[in-house]
Amino acid sequence: MIDPGTMNATTKQPASHEGSGGFPPFDTSTFPSQIFWLVVTFAFLFVVVWRVAGPRINGVITTRRNKINGDIAEAQKHRSDAEAASAAYQTALAGARARANAHAEETRKRIAGEIDKAKADADARAHEATAKAEASIQAMRAEARTSMTNAARDAAIEIVARLTGETVSAEDAAAAVKAGN
Amino acid sequence: MAMHPMEQFEVRPLIEHPLFQIAGHNIYFTNQSLFMVIVVAAASLFLTLAMGGGRMVPSRVQSMAEMSYEFVANMIHSSAGDDGLKFFPFIFTTFIFVLFCNVFGMVPWSFTVTSQIAITFAMTAFIISMVIVVGFMKHGLGFLKLFVPHAPWYLLILLVPIEVISFFTRLVSLSVRLFANMLAGHTMLAVFAGFVVMLGAAGGILSILSIGPMLMIVAIMMLELLVAFLQAYVFAILTCIYLNEALHLHDQH
Repeated sequence: MIDPGTMNATTKQPASHEGSGGFPPFDTSTFPSQIFWLVVTFAFLFVVVWRVAGPRINGVITTRRNKINGDIAEAQKHRSDAEAASAAYQTALAGARARANAHAEETRKRIAGEIDKAKADADARAHEATAKAEASIQAMRAEARTSMTNAARDAAIEIVARLTGETVSAEDAAAAVKAGN
Repeated sequence: MAMHPMEQFEVRPLIEHPLFQIAGHNIYFTNQSLFMVIVVAAASLFLTLAMGGGRMVPSRVQSMAEMSYEFVANMIHSSAGDDGLKFFPFIFTTFIFVLFCNVFGMVPWSFTVTSQIAITFAMTAFIISMVIVVGFMKHGLGFLKLFVPHAPWYLLILLVPIEVISFFTRLVSLSVRLFANMLAGHTMLAVFAGFVVMLGAAGGILSILSIGPMLMIVAIMMLELLVAFLQAYVFAILTCIYLNEALHLHDQH
């Protein structure tokens, strides 16, 4: 596999030969070219990174970070605003509820008072009516008794007159009715 | 002709004539150069075009670019602290370069740039030099305290050389780790691919058996994708850790 011709290649010029046989990475004749191109290409990439790519990437990342932080701060602010509004709403709601309760209580008391008063009035009127009715009942009862007594006396006079033909005075008849009663 | 597993690591000039000379060395435009250009072009396009819109809600590609950016930024922050972020462009470039080289190397018939010791060693040498320069710039001669652990003086005679050696061993460990990982994985893939070809060419029952190494290639391919990412990560985070030492010596940041 190893061509004897290439074995004779001196280390001075294998860069222009098929320098097989040796260990290629240790072929020192290629070193100047390798290092020259390394310096050129690496320096080029370094300048690209240093002057163009680095600042550009850094700029984008920084802009994004600032934007995100700004947005977060703004969201934080909105949130605290919303929380403050919510707290104010809760306070207002509690106040309104307290006022409504007080008003309801007051109304309830007033209505209860009116009801009590009306009830008392009604009671009084009912008592008055009862008393009046009882009085009239008493009167009627007395009257009925009187009229009954008179009727009995008249009847007694009539009976006596029919049976005996005698006329009995009203006073006697009344006394007899009263005695027989 | 059966492919040699090492053939994929050969650096060959694509243009026969050297472009020019530096200090007497011929500079060629090689297959590796081509792939470095492709990798860097792809990475540049990925990092710039993906962010083209710069949209608030990112597209998929933009999200990937941002993720890689934040991944590296977090890595530097956690391992080297705030002042490590000054080195972000360099470490990000290193990470993206190694990652793209590793991942592009997974494409069949491509060239794995990071499978060359020259590349990984050059990068490592630059990183270690940078660490030393940063250390001396920040702490002056106090940077040498990095090599002096808290210990009695008689132990220091032993410990200081060890610290110095371990510091410079990083040159080897950082470069060889990446190089060897990429080299081994791709060699393994090539070897199994060779088995598939050999069994397939053998004919008969052996052709059917070639499904075995084929499945192995699929499995190794997935493993290599993981390794490609992992080694880029390891390379970048070790760079961060070495920088952290230069910035903060032995203190925690």
